[in-house]
Amino acid sequence: MASTGAAPFWRAAGMTYVNYANLCAKMVRNCLKEPHKSEAISREKVHYSISKWADGKQEKPSVRTDSPDE
Amino acid sequence: MAMAALRREGRRFASPLISPRPITAVRSSLISENEIPFGVRSISTQVVRNRMKSVKNIQKITKAMKMVAASKLRAIQVKTENSRGLWQPFTALLGDTPSVDIKKNVIVTISSDKGLCGGINSTSVKISKAIYKLNSGPDKENKYVVLGEKAKAQLIRDSKKDIEVSITELQKHPLNYTQVSVIADDILKNVEFDALRIVFNKFQSVVSFLPTMATILSPEVVERESESGGKLGDLDSYEIEGGDTKGEILQNLTEFQFSCVLFNAILENACSEQGARMSAMDSSSRNAGEMLDRLTLTYNRTRQASITTELIEIISGASALEG
Repeated sequence: MASTGAAPFWRAAGMTYVNYANLCAKMVRNCLKEPHKSEAISREKVHYSISKWADGKQEKPSVRTDSPDE
Repeated sequence: MAMAALRREGRRFASPLISPRPITAVRSSLISENEIPFGVRSISTQVVRNRMKSVKNIQKITKAMKMVAASKLRAIQVKTENSRGLWQPFTALLGDTPSVDIKKNVIVTISSDKGLCGGINSTSVKISKAIYKLNSGPDKENKYVVLGEKAKAQLIRDSKKDIEVSITELQKHPLNYTQVSVIADDILKNVEFDALRIVFNKFQSVVSFLPTMATILSPEVVERESESGGKLGDLDSYEIEGGDTKGEILQNLTEFQFSCVLFNAILENACSEQGARMSAMDSSSRNAGEMLDRLTLTYNRTRQASITTELIEIISGASALEG
């Protein structure tokens, strides 16, 4: 029953369900033991560049990444 | 007036002599006189030899690209087939209803970042434009969200006013759900929609891809439809556990549905891309092989002709001396 009580709180904090689910998944991955842990963490690498458009012009793209070399 | 035309004509006649011959005109350059220096009797085969070398190199490159695409395809195909189980429950519950009448359309066009993969990118752009036209009306609004460099380049030409967000560099790491869900989250935050329409190429086999559209309705539209008892009327027969209201549940569900469907769509499109690249590279290395055969034939024939000419010259000279 705890989850039903908690649900409005993350929504009130401005998170979407996807964001919330990702956070939970990250917690679970961190609980794994070592050989499986690094393998599971390699599956959560994020890299892409997003840019908004206004009046038919592309604005400056921002890169979302979590790889350490950039 | 007439003089100008004449001058232009003259320039056109003179130009082939001045400009260096394009290498494509192998056959004609073999018989033309202006490439052979004065006093040389035999025909030079240098041009053909160079051309053969370059065709051979291109063939090597396309063969290597085909191999790379084939190995990438195998890895991604397994992932794609596994990801199909993600969207099927959502379609069973919420349905895939492209015909619901809504105001704000957002078309999510999925394409690749790299080219040389046949027609998959132009197919998805074409389908997106068709959907745009289909849904345009006096009080309706259409927007594009573009994934991938290639669809962006095509949509910039005539509909750059309607592009809302563009996302590139998806495939730097192997695709995973975390990445796609972060992208889905970004799209949800940045655009307002009544329905999201995801356009992608569904992978069927290495040579066939089905352009596909998946529709995701916003929670408000789903609620309206289920209450009015339209296509989603069955949704009311479900019982909701816990303290959440139906609106909250639906909002969570649509967000999760969007990320899952997008995950599958991106994987399907990446799989189609590798398949298309593989078949494109296969046919281009075959074409290079055919071209090489033709060039070898020309080369050998010319060589033979020059040998024969030399022999005739020697023999006739000898017989002239004897007689």
